[in-house]
Amino acid sequence: MNTVHFTAGMSEHPVVVTRVAQRQWHALADDQVVGRGHVSHRPDGRIFLSIDSWHSAVFDRLADAMLADLPRPLYTVVDEADRDLTSSWERVGFTTLRREWEYLVPTDPRVTGLDAGQPPSGVTIVPAGKAAEGPLRALDRAIREEVEATVGWHTMPAEVLPRPHGTTLLDPSKYAVAVRSDQYVGLVRLATMTRQPRIGLIAVRTDQHRRGIARALLADVLGSLHSSGISTASAEVNESNKAATALFEGAGAQRASSNLELAI
Amino acid sequence: MTATAGGIEVEGTVLECLRNATFKVELENGHRVLAHISGRIRKNYIKILPYDRVLVELSPYDLSRGRILFRYRT
Repeated sequence: MNTVHFTAGMSEHPVVVTRVAQRQWHALADDQVVGRGHVSHRPDGRIFLSIDSWHSAVFDRLADAMLADLPRPLYTVVDEADRDLTSSWERVGFTTLRREWEYLVPTDPRVTGLDAGQPPSGVTIVPAGKAAEGPLRALDRAIREEVEATVGWHTMPAEVLPRPHGTTLLDPSKYAVAVRSDQYVGLVRLATMTRQPRIGLIAVRTDQHRRGIARALLADVLGSLHSSGISTASAEVNESNKAATALFEGAGAQRASSNLELAI
Repeated sequence: MTATAGGIEVEGTVLECLRNATFKVELENGHRVLAHISGRIRKNYIKILPYDRVLVELSPYDLSRGRILFRYRT
């Protein structure tokens, strides 16, 4: 791939931006790579950009080249605390689409006020690794179809996006489920690979909302972490998701950081 | 330490997450740098925490600054 953009100089060395691969751009000055741009395609078809550079002028050159080559709309993600990077994207025309809070969630029931042993009447919680795979996959498909038909996948973090083909549920052992009248009606996924476990998804069938099922799932997963000696987990919540915000903040979760999704 | 077309890459350990989306990282040679995370790490929602082992690209303009390119599994 050899799309080359010659640009004006930065200090004494001219900067040349080259599309070195289908998804990658390099900014070169004096034969040194002084910046990189990268594109990734989400399973939902959206195109996300990233740019790494040491100077704002190089950032702008890379952005100009990438925006000229790629179809709109385009997206990127920034840590809201990184004002320099956010400003750089805004300077080339990106605007904020949504905000996602990262919460730190305590696991101690004395802090959360959640009692894992008391799910709502008629509901039982099947702990992670114990759910039957067939019904779990059916529940996952049903919930994802409901999301697609309502708020849409663009409001979800990358890790819960639908896969382009086949199943979306990659590791059944990570899921605990809520059962009501012998039907799987809600699920929670916990990623434990890192030192700080991450609650990747809590979802309940639409017709089972407002019955305390999500709260019971959260109580179960936090209770099991507490029993394992883990004091906090993390979770991301879209700012516009009032129910999820209330659920986590009601359990004593604290906002730790925020990501902005920007678009042009 | 590895010299690449983009700069010097060094492994290190995250000491502290600072408030302005930067991290204090201690390199293999004992030097400490302030590092941002790369766009690809951010795009993929990879979390960086204290004690994480990371690969840092040092700025050619300021060797006390860097960019975290990769987080090793612990």
